[in-house]
Amino acid sequence: MSDFNVTGAEGTVSIKPPPETPKLPPRLWIKENLFSSPFNIFLTVASTGILLILGRGLLSFIFSHERQWGSTATNLRLLMTQAYPEEQYMRVWVCVGVIFTLTGLSMAVWNAGSRVALRRLGSFLLSTGVVIDILTLLAPFSSSATIIWLCVGTGISLFGGSLVKFSDEDKTMSVLTVTVIALAVAILSLWVVPYGHHSFVFERTPRSLAEAGTVALTTKLPWTIMLLIGIAAYFAGKAIREKVSQNVLRVSVLTIWFLAPPALLYLVLRDPDFDMGHVLNTDIPIFLVFAAVGAGLLFWLTRPTAGELGKVIAAITLLIGFGSFLTPMRMIIRILILLLAIFAISAPTFAGDTQTRRRYSLGWIGVSGVTCWLVTAINTPSTVEVPGSFFIGGVSLTLLIAIFTIVISFPLGILLALGRTSTMPIFRILCTWFIEFVRGIPLITILIFFSIMFPMFLPKEMEIGEVASIVIGYSLFSSAYLAENVRGGLQSVTRGQHEAADAVGMTTPQKTLFIVLPQALRVSIPPLVSHCIGVFKETSLLAIIGLFDILYIARNVIPNQTEFLGSVRENLLFVCLIYWILSYQMSKASQRLERRVGLGER
Amino acid sequence: MNETNNETSTGSNRDLSNAADMIVCENVSKWYGDFQALDEVSATIKEQEVVVVLGPSGSGKSTWIRCINRLEQHQEGRIEVDGIELTNDLRNIEKVRSEVGMVFQQFNLFPHLKVIDNVTLAPIWVRKKPKVEAQEQAIALLERVGIPEQADKYPGQLSGGQQQRVAIARALAMEPRIMLFDEPTSALDPEMIKEVLDVMKELALSGMTMMVVTHEVGFAKEVADRIIFMDEGQIVEIGTPETFFTDPVEERSKLFLSQIL
Repeated sequence: MSDFNVTGAEGTVSIKPPPETPKLPPRLWIKENLFSSPFNIFLTVASTGILLILGRGLLSFIFSHERQWGSTATNLRLLMTQAYPEEQYMRVWVCVGVIFTLTGLSMAVWNAGSRVALRRLGSFLLSTGVVIDILTLLAPFSSSATIIWLCVGTGISLFGGSLVKFSDEDKTMSVLTVTVIALAVAILSLWVVPYGHHSFVFERTPRSLAEAGTVALTTKLPWTIMLLIGIAAYFAGKAIREKVSQNVLRVSVLTIWFLAPPALLYLVLRDPDFDMGHVLNTDIPIFLVFAAVGAGLLFWLTRPTAGELGKVIAAITLLIGFGSFLTPMRMIIRILILLLAIFAISAPTFAGDTQTRRRYSLGWIGVSGVTCWLVTAINTPSTVEVPGSFFIGGVSLTLLIAIFTIVISFPLGILLALGRTSTMPIFRILCTWFIEFVRGIPLITILIFFSIMFPMFLPKEMEIGEVASIVIGYSLFSSAYLAENVRGGLQSVTRGQHEAADAVGMTTPQKTLFIVLPQALRVSIPPLVSHCIGVFKETSLLAIIGLFDILYIARNVIPNQTEFLGSVRENLLFVCLIYWILSYQMSKASQRLERRVGLGER
Repeated sequence: MNETNNETSTGSNRDLSNAADMIVCENVSKWYGDFQALDEVSATIKEQEVVVVLGPSGSGKSTWIRCINRLEQHQEGRIEVDGIELTNDLRNIEKVRSEVGMVFQQFNLFPHLKVIDNVTLAPIWVRKKPKVEAQEQAIALLERVGIPEQADKYPGQLSGGQQQRVAIARALAMEPRIMLFDEPTSALDPEMIKEVLDVMKELALSGMTMMVVTHEVGFAKEVADRIIFMDEGQIVEIGTPETFFTDPVEERSKLFLSQIL
């Protein structure tokens, strides 16, 4: 025994590295993977042939002389924002700028971006160049265009090839840098290449058609600024990260992300006409009273010794909240009382020391403030006047409805899932019936119902816009499906976890909030993301009920312009491209999220 | 309580006759469907006493120990823990659960929380302890179970023995008066069993009331004040380790001992 130890100590037992998997040279790799057996050879040849035929078909469609790509290029602005007034266009750019800033900040705060080996990047560029060359040869180009594109493809290939050849084995580059360079190249091309021309065209007679190159002319400066803003925000975020605690920073960035959509929509895009007198005399006092009284009440209710009296007060608040709908009063007051009741009911869960209690009260002030501000903003008329029912359309409307639906249906879906798995029979039956009922109705029926009939069910003094009622209907629909996804996650939390939480004396809300939901949501990320992608894509059904979303504009508006009669196919292809780009980004983001939250599991 | 206690105070040498009753079970019965898991189980466990429950698998020992903090509900009889009777009243159950720590066979740590957060979660939200205080206490407990350096890791990054020690620290963080162990070493590799048993011995020495379901005969001999032997949902024999292991009364106990010793 001791002998054995001695030899070990002397180092005769050296750690053996795992054998390296040999890297095949390209010719051998092709032989082994593509031409290894007769059947394999047949498959390779056949599928290559099919791919070439398909590629040729697509390219001859795109580059045919009959295609009116001018219809897409001219109407880019229409496709993006419908008839948003040109003189107010600065507002759209401000929104894009805010999103770029937030993206840059988040990238820095979450330390995003893995590193990619230069060699891999090189081989990617190499194959991209080769694909461009092949496509160029397939496409029905004029000889001069063929030569230009061949040069471009070969240039990219050569650059990639030299990267593969001359860079070190382990030299890497941040993916962020690569992305920024790619964006910079795209934006730089705006300054060099005169892309298309555009104009605001509405109804059948185009008012004016601008000169060639105006897409580049009007967007090259804003896009350049956007890129610079994004980069600046990234470095600002890095600087802030050094000074502020991680958690505080992350929570505040997330809060801004959640506040950004309503803020941009109601304050920036809609340009509300605030009646300052009304705001100062009514809205702000209401908020101040509720903030002060509510904060005091909640601070008192979160004492660890609050006991039964606290629950009674919470129940009374809830009753007053529901009762308020029977008496005439401002909607905002009803909403605030109900919100306060919810906060009061969950107070015992968050009871603790003075710091915790103060944070809970501050949370109430924040939530009530945002609610007041939103209600005020919604009630203010918009100054942006455009033909049609809503002031914005196209991609913006699609994104807007998708984002609001997803944000609203998330908490709703989680609550439904919890209700359906709850042990309380009333909640369980109600939630189960709601989910089964909604899942049994086609989405288009719900959309039509909510756009035409829902406003009739409201009380007389209440008015609701078409888009708002559609978002409500769509959210209800989406939350039912989302609930089923979350329920799958809830069931994957083992019984042992419930027992462990019970055994340390946690109450059911605490157990749900701290133990069950975090684990359940983590498991449900893949189905939840595919659900979000589905919600985003199915906004195209809005075209059927006549909202000016991107599909409606591409299919019904542009092909009716005298200039571009019948140009449906070009625009549909463009719409496909936009949907695909955005969906693909979402799915990429979900893969990153999965990798990130998977860390704790191992 | 026991002035005569010295270093080796645990084991059957202690005189606990004057100690208060911590757990009282009277004719506790439980059924799973038609199967009777517990059949009129009656036993009293004193303060500071260490009781080891032995028995073949399926004998109801886990069910019994889980009834004591109401992870399972007994259907007949009564259970009283530290003077509180276990009924359907939620407040009683929560009170009992915060007095009784439980360690599971499968550890059941919260995989999405770091080790330190696993330990501090319940003190902060159930005991309403200030965060700083809870963290100091958690570090002290992790030192007590011998793994302070793992505080910032996730449970999945620890070995089984380390995870079980974290689970013990998590239970201790609630400052319980009773600790229940449900086969704490059964899911561990042999070389990790000792580190967990050492922690449990130290805990027993410190005067904790403990009820341990285990197959570790060595631990039972060394630490237990009493052995309770169960079979088919009934208590077959109760005795000190010496008498039980050397001179069991019942036939069934003899058969069991002949198979495991």
